[in-house]
Amino acid sequence: MITIALAKGRTLEGILPLWTAANLPVPADLDDSRALVFEESSEQYGIVRFLLAKPADVPTYVSFGVADIGIVGKDVLIENPKDVYELLDLQAAQCKLCVAGRPEDKDTRPRRVATKYPRLADQYFRSQGVSVELVTLSGSIELAAVIGLADRIFDLVQTGATLAANGLVVFDEVLDVSARLIANRSSYRMKRNLVDEISRRITSVLAAEVGR
Amino acid sequence: MTFDLPQTWAEQPVGMRDVYPEQAKYRRDIESKLLAFFEQHGYHMVSSGAFEYVDTLLRGRQVQEADDWLRWFDPNGRMVALRPDMTPSIARMAAPLVASGTKEIRWCYAEKVFRRSNDPASLSWVSGKAAESTQVGVEWIGPAANRADVDLLALCQRSVEHLGLADWQMVVSHAKLTASLLEVLGLSQEARETLMQYLIRGDYVGFRQVHADYGITEDVLGALAQVNPLDHGSLSAFLTYSREDNPTTQRVWKLWDELTEFASVLAVQGLTEHLSFDFTLTRDLSYYTGIIFEVFVPGVGAPVALGGRYDDLLAQFGSPAPAVGFTFEVERLLTALTDGRWLAESMGKGDVR
Repeated sequence: MITIALAKGRTLEGILPLWTAANLPVPADLDDSRALVFEESSEQYGIVRFLLAKPADVPTYVSFGVADIGIVGKDVLIENPKDVYELLDLQAAQCKLCVAGRPEDKDTRPRRVATKYPRLADQYFRSQGVSVELVTLSGSIELAAVIGLADRIFDLVQTGATLAANGLVVFDEVLDVSARLIANRSSYRMKRNLVDEISRRITSVLAAEVGR
Repeated sequence: MTFDLPQTWAEQPVGMRDVYPEQAKYRRDIESKLLAFFEQHGYHMVSSGAFEYVDTLLRGRQVQEADDWLRWFDPNGRMVALRPDMTPSIARMAAPLVASGTKEIRWCYAEKVFRRSNDPASLSWVSGKAAESTQVGVEWIGPAANRADVDLLALCQRSVEHLGLADWQMVVSHAKLTASLLEVLGLSQEARETLMQYLIRGDYVGFRQVHADYGITEDVLGALAQVNPLDHGSLSAFLTYSREDNPTTQRVWKLWDELTEFASVLAVQGLTEHLSFDFTLTRDLSYYTGIIFEVFVPGVGAPVALGGRYDDLLAQFGSPAPAVGFTFEVERLLTALTDGRWLAESMGKGDVR
């Protein structure tokens, strides 16, 4: 039995093709169900239990050991470090952490920054030698710049479509982000064969993609 | 519908946890069972105060380790901290005895240890850094590596079995071997230190990225996982990278010979059934010099027991002596022994042995 915590939304959608290509068990009717726990049984892995969690909560489930392994974006791991093993870069669900804002603010000095990543944003602006006020929001960060609550936003950008639709532009690209396979420290020792088999399969799919 | 605010009872600080009658007794029973077992094996119980000067605790350690401690200034303006583990206090107590000629010291203890944490106690007990937790352990000062290490691992394994745990795994590593193997690969000291930091943090993605940046294209982590002292030839997975015979490779071979000798004694004594070697296992305590090991059980997210050899620590306290020890994390043990029901209402009398 192995329990896998998956970050709902963008990350989950991004890694499903890879997961399927690696011939790993996938929860059935994932899309049309509102359930949060799925169980599949497979000959090779025994019972595989999937937990669907908010991205920021995946490292928590894994560090407490209620999930053996998890899949979550690197952004979450940097913003909220937990005692977990970061085993693999899945090179999926890729996006960029960016500083963005209204075009007319581009050449002004940053004053107030809206973000879901207060720690990272603080480190970034410190490294730029500017002191800013941080406004921590939990979603739709673009709104803060549109209505003038902040003159910068510090957020993930995948396609840039949301930014463009709100008349915002990217000022600076800070960090490349992709989905990571993480493991609980005890599960990695107790269920080493299962975890290694899963990462081995993913690695070989990734290697094949590079070769293509 | 009305919501009557309850009477305002006194609050409890974050991370602290009350333990009610049967549960508290069960915890004390386990502590006593372990202490009695250690005493049977020639260890004598000691105790010390809950806080120490920070500069005492920091002997042989990195300054940043203190970030995890609960620190404040005493009335004389010196910085003190609640002990994060018992080893520094034991070293402080033992050093004068060693200086006055005592050849061997075997002590055991059952004490609370403390860390900074904002996580609720019941969860942080099983996951890692709890604000307050109970450690029952032994320290053995005097004997050098190898045979003493075997005896200590045997004691740890026997105590796990004495507690009635059936499904457990002991993982053994060495504080010096991994860094030396990185040196064999021709990595600079700076690169090695960076890589060891990634290993300690468990960031294997970052580890691969860094050694690739330094021009090492081989799968170093994979090779580290292949290295197994129970098979003397398994080191060749690593040493094929460096065919030269230089002081570094000679040092690695010497260390390897000691480790394989150690492993073969473990095998002869029947201690390898639940034991595996894994040289990706590292510890952020900088004072370890020899073997390090951890014991894992299913359902608990962090090791239930952990220990290692620290031959240089006593010198930091004024009288050099080799030493080795381990400790049990009692709350994690309780979680394993009661299948997670230790703090649940349903822990009936039948569970208390």
